[in-house]
Amino acid sequence: MKKPLLTALAIACALAVPILAQSREITITTQLKNYGGGGAYLALYLSDAKGAYAGTLWVAGGKTKYYKHLTDWNRLSAGDAKRLAGVTGASVGAGRTLKVTADLADALIDAGYEIRIDAAVEDMRESPSEVRLPLTAAGSGKAQTGKQYVQSLSYQLK
Amino acid sequence: MVWRQLHRWIGLVAGAVAVVLGITGAVLALEPVQSAWQSPAAARSLSVAQLADRVAAVVPGAEEIRRLPSGDTVVYAFDHGEPRASRIDPQSGQVLGAWEPSATLRWLRNLHRKLLLGDIGRLVAAGAALAMALLCITGLVLLQRRQGGWRKLGNRVRGSPMQRLHCAAGRALLAVLLVSSLAALNLSAASFGLVQLDGDTEPEVASRSASTGDLAPAELALLQQTAVRDLRKLNFPSADDPGDTWHISTAQGQGWIDRHDGQTLAWQPASTAQRINDWALLLHTGEGAWPWALVLGASGLSIALFWGTGLMLWWQARRLQPRLAGNRPLPEADTLIFVASENGSTWGFAQALHAALTQAGHPVHASTLEHFATGARTRQVFVLAATYGDGQAPAHAARALQRIAQAPVTSATVTVLGFGDRQFQGFCAFAGALESALRARGWPSLLPLARIHQQSAQEFALWGERLGKALGEPLALQYRPSIPRTTALTLVSRQDYPGAVGEPAAILRFAWPKASWAQRLGGRALGAFAAGDLLGVLPPDGAVPRLYSLASSAHDGFIEICVRRHAGGLCSGYLHALQPGERIAAFIRPNPGFTLQATRRPVMLIGAGTGVAPLAGFIRGNTQRAPMHLYYGTRDPALDYYFGAELQTWLQEQRLASLHTAFSRAESGGGHVQDALQRDATRLQSLIHQGGAIVRVCGSQAMARAVAQTLDAILAGMGLSVQQLKAQGRYAEDTF
Repeated sequence: MKKPLLTALAIACALAVPILAQSREITITTQLKNYGGGGAYLALYLSDAKGAYAGTLWVAGGKTKYYKHLTDWNRLSAGDAKRLAGVTGASVGAGRTLKVTADLADALIDAGYEIRIDAAVEDMRESPSEVRLPLTAAGSGKAQTGKQYVQSLSYQLK
Repeated sequence: MVWRQLHRWIGLVAGAVAVVLGITGAVLALEPVQSAWQSPAAARSLSVAQLADRVAAVVPGAEEIRRLPSGDTVVYAFDHGEPRASRIDPQSGQVLGAWEPSATLRWLRNLHRKLLLGDIGRLVAAGAALAMALLCITGLVLLQRRQGGWRKLGNRVRGSPMQRLHCAAGRALLAVLLVSSLAALNLSAASFGLVQLDGDTEPEVASRSASTGDLAPAELALLQQTAVRDLRKLNFPSADDPGDTWHISTAQGQGWIDRHDGQTLAWQPASTAQRINDWALLLHTGEGAWPWALVLGASGLSIALFWGTGLMLWWQARRLQPRLAGNRPLPEADTLIFVASENGSTWGFAQALHAALTQAGHPVHASTLEHFATGARTRQVFVLAATYGDGQAPAHAARALQRIAQAPVTSATVTVLGFGDRQFQGFCAFAGALESALRARGWPSLLPLARIHQQSAQEFALWGERLGKALGEPLALQYRPSIPRTTALTLVSRQDYPGAVGEPAAILRFAWPKASWAQRLGGRALGAFAAGDLLGVLPPDGAVPRLYSLASSAHDGFIEICVRRHAGGLCSGYLHALQPGERIAAFIRPNPGFTLQATRRPVMLIGAGTGVAPLAGFIRGNTQRAPMHLYYGTRDPALDYYFGAELQTWLQEQRLASLHTAFSRAESGGGHVQDALQRDATRLQSLIHQGGAIVRVCGSQAMARAVAQTLDAILAGMGLSVQQLKAQGRYAEDTF
């Protein structure tokens, strides 16, 4: 069965880090397990070396009132008024794959930053920080499994 | 009146969706019932602190305790990299097993909430809920109109079995369906974000860093004060984030607790909208209240019943819609027919009259009564008016009386023919009101007001003959009611009586045909029947069927009627010529207003002549030995004392408690049946007043009137009347 791919347009994240001239394109692929439930709400975001929020890459799920169930992201990003600007889409069905593409400043790579994903499904448990994946040049192409809903999370740096 | 149109079209359009939602809802309602039996309950005194302590001890890596609406307690844990969900017994903290939400229930829920579609489906479901609420309201208005006012809403519902099923079930379940659909609308509004349930922002809280370790749940004040019964969700602080807090959600609100010092860092009370939503959820799902869930489930299933019966009622009414060949415009016509019909049945008669007059050479125009008017060429006008409910106008003709009061009077005659049912207090009352209004305005008429009982083709044909004489031209009214499927019945025996006035009578007994399953499923079997139902007999020339009261029930295994031969009576002559072994074509017409339910109450049976037949059937079936008292009037014990021998047997067997006869043509025979009533007045008073007796009267219309007058006089002293008894459903007549 061919899985539809949800692709985001290239988004420059509003990061607290000064954008240097150099930036690289990153494609993040999230494949979900067949967890037997409705569509998953997902938040893909970055945190810095201190664990502080550093920007939102993508939020999957149509109804903003459910975003509070993406608890870590919701708490960490509360101060970011622009956290949803242009980075939202539909929820992701069980077994489906989400692909997100963004431009990242070179300075973010190999600097202690992590890609994080929070997940929540209606009538099922919330899964904050389902995956925490260090953002390194060497980690490109390596997949990691999540706790509850994510089969694999990986990124490709160009 | 727009109510009926609203009810009909909303029902037809939204009904199909509502049926799906009702059936899925009924299945979903089983869940709270099932979990009420299966889920271990938490004692009132059990606190969240105790529960969390037990869970922490029993479940490694517990992250969250959730109390499901069904009553189950589930613990989510993350143990050695493996997510686990377990059902636990809150009282003991014991793990009962892994918790797997049911995929079937999830599918049903998605079907119920959004028809397995997305927001479009949610909108459709919300539309169906709104439709359901409107159907309840319009239905209630229609029901009170049918019953003759709000005060009579509780009275017995009358009408065809289909109508009675639709109305009586509606009366019983309307309130539940209304509550459930309004609650559903509230839930829809919340789901679409039209209602803000809680603030978007959560308080900025974090556990203060401390050198001490975590406090145990038992040491946290907020958890000690909260009962497990009120708990919705408890999140344990995360193991790898020292700043994380305890987070508790209850029906009252949510709170955050410092993991190190146990202080309640913040408390957000539930908003009013949230509380309303909780109520809506309870009322709509019955979760946590299983008796209500049962009621909801029954009401959900009933939607299919309402839709089915409603569809059939609509279809029946549609089938009766007029198809008038050669209807002329009003200005060209010399004869106008105006019809007031609630369900369309009167149009069949209008059609017959239209055809006969057209054949006689008249240009005829027919229309509904609210268009009452006359033209320059109008010579005669006929108003065919049915009565709705207990003496009201059919909905579409509600304003007809005002219109008639304002119409300019011409020299045209206006003749009224009423249609109704003698079971009702206001038999043909609307036709009577039209008649009075027309005469008060000074319209002449060809014939006085005539009243047709239960769409009787015979009475209509007689009226046609009189009309032909009045018009001075022969008129053949060919009213053909739709005849139900008939079954062949074989005569097995006949008991003949010479009769007292040269009109012999016979008790005819037919075998009950054994029907195969195929015949039964195909609707070709006779169907069950009770004494007091009617047997429709088709005369050989296929003319209009005649109806005879049944003196037996299906239980007796045979079909018995008592038929007097009328001079020139087509059907009675045919039946009297039958010999055992010969067959007739017949069908059962239920007569539910008259048949007798099993009862322990005293029953007063009052009959005259062949009218004793259904009463004999009641007594025959009285194996319960309910106290039945028969008042039986006939002419001569030697000539027309039908069932005389059987009555003696039934007296001995105590199926009949007492027998009071009156023979009008016999020496000191005791007069008429009402005289027999008068003689027994004291006992009648006590049986009806204190005994709550049920009364059944069968005979000619004149006899029924005389009986009612006599009983009214007897009961007047007790402040009771026949009308009251009818309203209580304790008094019914079957007249011919």
